[in-house]
Amino acid sequence: MSDIKSIQLNEDSPLFQKKGMFHKKFASDFRQIRYYTLMVMQKAPPEIKEINLLEQQISELIKNAVKHGNKKDPRKIVEVWFHFDPSSAHLIVQDEGRGFKALEAWNEFNRRRTECFLRQDFEAMAEFVSFHTPDSDEHDSGNALFAAVEYWDRGVVFNRARNAVAVAKSFPQRRHGIELA
Amino acid sequence: MSGNMEIKLRRADTIYVIDVIGEMDLYNAFKLKDVVRKMIEKKIRHYVINLDQVPYIDSSGIGALLQVFADIKKNGLSLRITGVKGSVRKVIELTKLAQYFPIVAELDLAIQQLKASD
Repeated sequence: MSDIKSIQLNEDSPLFQKKGMFHKKFASDFRQIRYYTLMVMQKAPPEIKEINLLEQQISELIKNAVKHGNKKDPRKIVEVWFHFDPSSAHLIVQDEGRGFKALEAWNEFNRRRTECFLRQDFEAMAEFVSFHTPDSDEHDSGNALFAAVEYWDRGVVFNRARNAVAVAKSFPQRRHGIELA
Repeated sequence: MSGNMEIKLRRADTIYVIDVIGEMDLYNAFKLKDVVRKMIEKKIRHYVINLDQVPYIDSSGIGALLQVFADIKKNGLSLRITGVKGSVRKVIELTKLAQYFPIVAELDLAIQQLKASD
């Protein structure tokens, strides 16, 4: 892992094209986040479910929208567009919040964190294990996006208003069947 | 849907093994922080967190491990984490914390290491 990944800000990213995607709307009910995730996951083929990693990553995106975007306001909705096939996953998650204002600060924090990691300097990395903003509470782990930029290998992109995130990942095609000599 | 998460404690001399059983997710992960805080108040010195029976972890679970590790370090106490496998290992690797956390492959080895440090 030699490159330092970042969150992009690009309204025109092809990852925001919604054509052919399924669409669901959810109330911002924090208690239902894992359930909402399972509703989306129903469309995912088994090839890409990967020991529940895909579920975990989708749950983080919905949690961010419900908690940080919509501040758990049940009158506000989270919209999810999604498409899965055996070699890819593509989602857009949009909330009605003020947007991810700390995007640039997060990228800088992640850059410094990754530099510590690449130097294998884990003492210095202790300063960068969790990203918090003035809006964070004691339950915010501040590490979901670190995994997201690694997992979603085709990008993590926000729109101009910063209240919608588009992500995509490619999965290696597995070969099935018996190889004959 | 979120399953339940239980915490069971075992003792091996001065070492306490904390078995986490179930999903360490946004609804459950705080329990580990609460248990370890109480154990620190009781002056327990050596901790092993055993994740062998954790099939799912999310960022809240990782956050709980980070908080517990920080609390233990701040008090000059010692921690090992064992049973890291499957998606738990993968999530820890994605967050680049596999070498940051004091992960030991086997529970017996973790206990031995802590005994040796006594």
